[in-house]
Amino acid sequence: MTPAYFEFQNAVKLLCGQNALDRIPDELRHLKAEHPLLLTDALLLRLGIVSAVQDIMVAEGCAPAAVYTDIPVDSSLGAVNRIAMVYRESGCDSIVAVGGGSVIDSAKGARLVLSQESDDILSIGGIENLHCGRHIPFIVVPTTAGTGSECTGVAVIRNEQQGVKMEFLSPFVEPDVAVLDARMTLRLPARATASTGIDALCHAIEAATCLQSNPLSSAYCSAAIRLICANVIEAVQHGSNADARLCMAMAATMAGIAFSNSMVGAVHAIGHALGGVCHVAHAEAMGILLPHVLRYNLPAAAEGYAQLLPEMVGWEPAAATPPAERGKAMVQAVEDLLALLHAKAGIPLRLSEVGVNEQQIPRIAETALNDGALIVNPRPMLAQQVADLLHGAL
Amino acid sequence: MKRRLQAVLIAAALRLVHAALVELQELDPAVAEELRRLPVGISYAIYAGYCGPSLLVRWDGERLSRISDTSHPVKNTLRFKALAIAFRLFTGQIGLAHAYAQHAFTLSGDIADVMRLARLVNRAEVHLFPSIVTRCILPEQPGPAVSPLRIYARIFYGFLKSAY
Ligand SMILES: [Fe+2]
Repeated sequence: MTPAYFEFQNAVKLLCGQNALDRIPDELRHLKAEHPLLLTDALLLRLGIVSAVQDIMVAEGCAPAAVYTDIPVDSSLGAVNRIAMVYRESGCDSIVAVGGGSVIDSAKGARLVLSQESDDILSIGGIENLHCGRHIPFIVVPTTAGTGSECTGVAVIRNEQQGVKMEFLSPFVEPDVAVLDARMTLRLPARATASTGIDALCHAIEAATCLQSNPLSSAYCSAAIRLICANVIEAVQHGSNADARLCMAMAATMAGIAFSNSMVGAVHAIGHALGGVCHVAHAEAMGILLPHVLRYNLPAAAEGYAQLLPEMVGWEPAAATPPAERGKAMVQAVEDLLALLHAKAGIPLRLSEVGVNEQQIPRIAETALNDGALIVNPRPMLAQQVADLLHGAL
Repeated sequence: MKRRLQAVLIAAALRLVHAALVELQELDPAVAEELRRLPVGISYAIYAGYCGPSLLVRWDGERLSRISDTSHPVKNTLRFKALAIAFRLFTGQIGLAHAYAQHAFTLSGDIADVMRLARLVNRAEVHLFPSIVTRCILPEQPGPAVSPLRIYARIFYGFLKSAY
């Protein structure tokens, strides 16, 4: 159904494929950036993954003015404010972020603080409330294929004091350039490949079926789901397959563009709460919650799910499924994929596997209820339904 | 003319929503519980566009009071992008979730705190709109805790006493 009204924006320039990393210095010059702050985390630095970017920047005369690596796994408001401080103290004029979701989201938060000429990210919270501010050139190089954060207008940052993940939504959060280069994900372990791939799948499914879905974002969702289902097992089993890696990276980016324009839903609302309250890794929370939320949503979203069946299983099996069964069949296909990834890569399927216990459920449910993503879930959820769903996933 | 009429109706609807919440604090356990969980001293502003009517409230731990624009700095703001969009919400043509999905408003402040306000407005609407409307725009909401007639009677009496 055509929505009564929708908006769509994606202004990120994508560099994708062979030698994509090598083009970063040229892009920096186009953005009039000479003293970039290189943001990454300590693990990526130790593994030598960042050096692929740093070496090129040095060799092409765009050496980082500062390198900041003290970014926690879940990002944090404190880290965001510290990054902004380092940027100012080091005389930087741009940001290059190399990492997964937490690095990219921390970079986005710091860029917001800088562009709004603030000192504290908490003072500029909200949705679509910011003016354009000062332009800070911003290039993002994802090292996982999942968050899609390289192309989204949202930053998710953990409030360590309150134990919640906060969302900052603004079109001015979008990076200027996103760089997809298979070299960045070739060494990603099988379990992380599987779980981040499921995060991307989750973005695509939720974006295609939530209240804010629209024809443009749905087109990105369909393409992303097709690419994920065709490549995720290969990427898990043969991590050095550069083609499969690039396909997964493209899928994650497309799913990111989709959900940046139509939001997500209950999987993410509850997943953010699991991250905030129990420190469950975002991508693993997605894999655990996805089938439970899909089953809950089925009465309201069967038609939307049915439309995704061909992308999940292929056209012929989808056509052979009776129309009334297609929504349910799509949910079953997701469950089958998760079971396969559990067998091949060890992704968790139950909350108890990631250390969540029954006593934590009321707090998780209450936190999820205050997450903006819940409001657009295709089937409304109140506190009791969130708690019931969590019990079912224990 | 149409715009002025819309502004008058929205102003009345905003006053009604506030009055309903004051009354429902005693009558609807869901509203009472939501208010009880609000941080003491929290303030909210709802603006219908940039030149339209507004509602500013503050929770002092016991009562949700209307405040004037200048008496307290308001931390959490929900601003409809245009008067005509606010009109659609306050006349029951769309629910808050669909309004959000349609980028109908901007939010400033902590999104979690604004979600609390959204739930309160939903409960007020359940008691103010006919059930045929709320079943359509707020399908997840349990029915009214007391009959809408009783709420309107109490609000009428409250306005006579200048209680809001
Ligand atoms: Fe996600």
